Amino acid sequence: MSSAFLWAVLPIAAGAAMLLYRRKDDTPLYLALGLSAVLTWIAWQFPIDAVLQLGSVSFEITPTLVLLGRNFTLGETQRLLLTFMYAAQTFWLLGAFITRPGRLFPGLSLIAVGLFMAALAVQPFLYAALLLAAAVLVWVPLLVPAGRQPGRGVQRAIVFNLFAVPFILFTGWLLTGVEATPGNFGLVLRAGLLLALGFSFLLAVFPFHSWMPMLAQETHPYALGFLMFFLPAVSSLFLLSLIERYVWLRENPAVFQILLAAGSLGVLLGGAWASQQRHLGRLLAFACMVATGGLLQAIGLGDATGLHTFFALLLPQAWVLWALSACLAVLARHTPSLQLEELGPALRQHPLLAFTSVAGLFALAGLPLLGPFAAHLAIWSGLGLQSVALLVLSLLGSLGLLAAGLRLLYAWLSAPAPAPQRGESQPRGDFPNPYIWAFFIIWGVTLLGYGLLPSFLAPVQRLVLMFPQLLQ
Amino acid sequence: MSDFTGTLVVLLLLITALYMLVNQNWRWAIAALGIQYIWAFLLVIPSWPAELAVVKLVTGWIAASVLGLTRLNLPETPPASGSVPSGIAFRLLAAGLVVLLVLGAAPRLAEWSRAFDIYQAWGGLLLIGIGLMQIALRSGFFRSALGLLTLFAGFEILYAAVEASTLVTGLLTAVNLGIALVASYLLIAPTLEAEE
Repeated sequence: MSSAFLWAVLPIAAGAAMLLYRRKDDTPLYLALGLSAVLTWIAWQFPIDAVLQLGSVSFEITPTLVLLGRNFTLGETQRLLLTFMYAAQTFWLLGAFITRPGRLFPGLSLIAVGLFMAALAVQPFLYAALLLAAAVLVWVPLLVPAGRQPGRGVQRAIVFNLFAVPFILFTGWLLTGVEATPGNFGLVLRAGLLLALGFSFLLAVFPFHSWMPMLAQETHPYALGFLMFFLPAVSSLFLLSLIERYVWLRENPAVFQILLAAGSLGVLLGGAWASQQRHLGRLLAFACMVATGGLLQAIGLGDATGLHTFFALLLPQAWVLWALSACLAVLARHTPSLQLEELGPALRQHPLLAFTSVAGLFALAGLPLLGPFAAHLAIWSGLGLQSVALLVLSLLGSLGLLAAGLRLLYAWLSAPAPAPQRGESQPRGDFPNPYIWAFFIIWGVTLLGYGLLPSFLAPVQRLVLMFPQLLQ
Repeated sequence: MSDFTGTLVVLLLLITALYMLVNQNWRWAIAALGIQYIWAFLLVIPSWPAELAVVKLVTGWIAASVLGLTRLNLPETPPASGSVPSGIAFRLLAAGLVVLLVLGAAPRLAEWSRAFDIYQAWGGLLLIGIGLMQIALRSGFFRSALGLLTLFAGFEILYAAVEASTLVTGLLTAVNLGIALVASYLLIAPTLEAEE
């Protein structure tokens, strides 16, 4: 059995089968959770491209699947990434029990993650743009559930994400020319411009970010959070693969400077806009913009430092974005809208979720003692060495996100306690809910633990081995 | 492809794309989309074997059918009467600018690339430009889908000349059908029974 079949084709097939299930119960969610957990465990425990003996049975997970004349390769060096991605998927499925993003979530999330894995596996890897576009299209029924009027945000999201495809595919063709004649400045410039445009659309870099806040006002926060975590994460890994593959990109300092500038601009604008938001969904969108900006900054630091920082940031960001989306989704179920003015009673009723949301925003801003702080510190140090102006922009963005967190904290603490109404039972808050307590404690301890002891996840730094050229 | 045939196909492509951009009737727009795929197919033929190029034609027709069948089951909405003439004039003007740009850019692109001929460059760039105009100037998912399909048809004419991978053809087919299916879903989503 090949790794690409196991971690890409199988989830897509299983997810498609789950969509056929018509009863309105949690069976698909349990099945998807089980499959996702098993795939995480296999990725964690079983080496790829090695013969394994289980009693009298021997089997091997081969690294390559040949499909329509092209290879899909997931080798041993990517096994840790597979573990991480499927662990993330397992947590997103677990969160679906309390957030209820829709009946199609289990099936579609499996299909989407399968497509993301296929995007990371396909050779030549520039074809990944098509698989990412397919993943976005697959996600639409969750962004606009049946019975809802679609807004302009989803339209723009589809258009912008599809725009990335022609740019990236054409770059692939130009790159063959660049490799043949690396001294041809005109060709390098054209390829670079197309590439920059393609990834700007894919990563929703300013000014192509506008679909995120628009969509955030229209859709379920958990469905949006899933897309806004996985899409930039996989796209930035795709970008790293590209830099790893082509010498003219890897050895060109301008590429890293552009990435640093684009990332810093994303952090600045995301943070500044976040500080002005009164809608928590839009706030989540801008927080995601800051997170993506941070990833770009980490790549922009270049060489091994940047690579280590990228993965040191990606993991805690995944943890924070998952929790933030989950909290917002639960809060959204108990309030008419996510506008801060209307959110007060829900925040008072769900102090654990309110606290988690505030802590999540603080963590994304890079507050000391919280998970992503170590990576933020590395980014700020690297930025300071290269450009003080970019460092200042980045710090201002973080301050903006911090201000957004403080505003949410103020809205929570200043909200009047919901008045008990005669004859009506008080809505159930989160204090009596053991699942919320478990979520709160595990999430908080992990975030704080990672912030205090960043070496806690040191083994995960083996992820950098996927990019040996950059590591040098 | 001879000069006469090439020029004729590009002109027909321009007429169908322009018609889709300016007209108000969705039925004729769908018909124009279907016909447009024939001209696009003829421009892909110089690069690909006919049996592979026909995939693009069939995909386009299926996408047009999906959109048409969905639209057929929705109530008719009369066009806004007051803004129509100026809207048409504006769209024609925008399309004129696209044509001018393409007339200037296509020969240089064909010469520089050496992968596609001048007719493919004209046809591909025209569809990309007018598809973009369709997305930018027309509102609603139906028109956006027409624009995206037109844009991708133009891109595929050019890309066919540089890439003949079966996998990419398959994936592009999936994306084209995905656009049509997603647009159809978005058109009917408000009329579907809500969950819970």
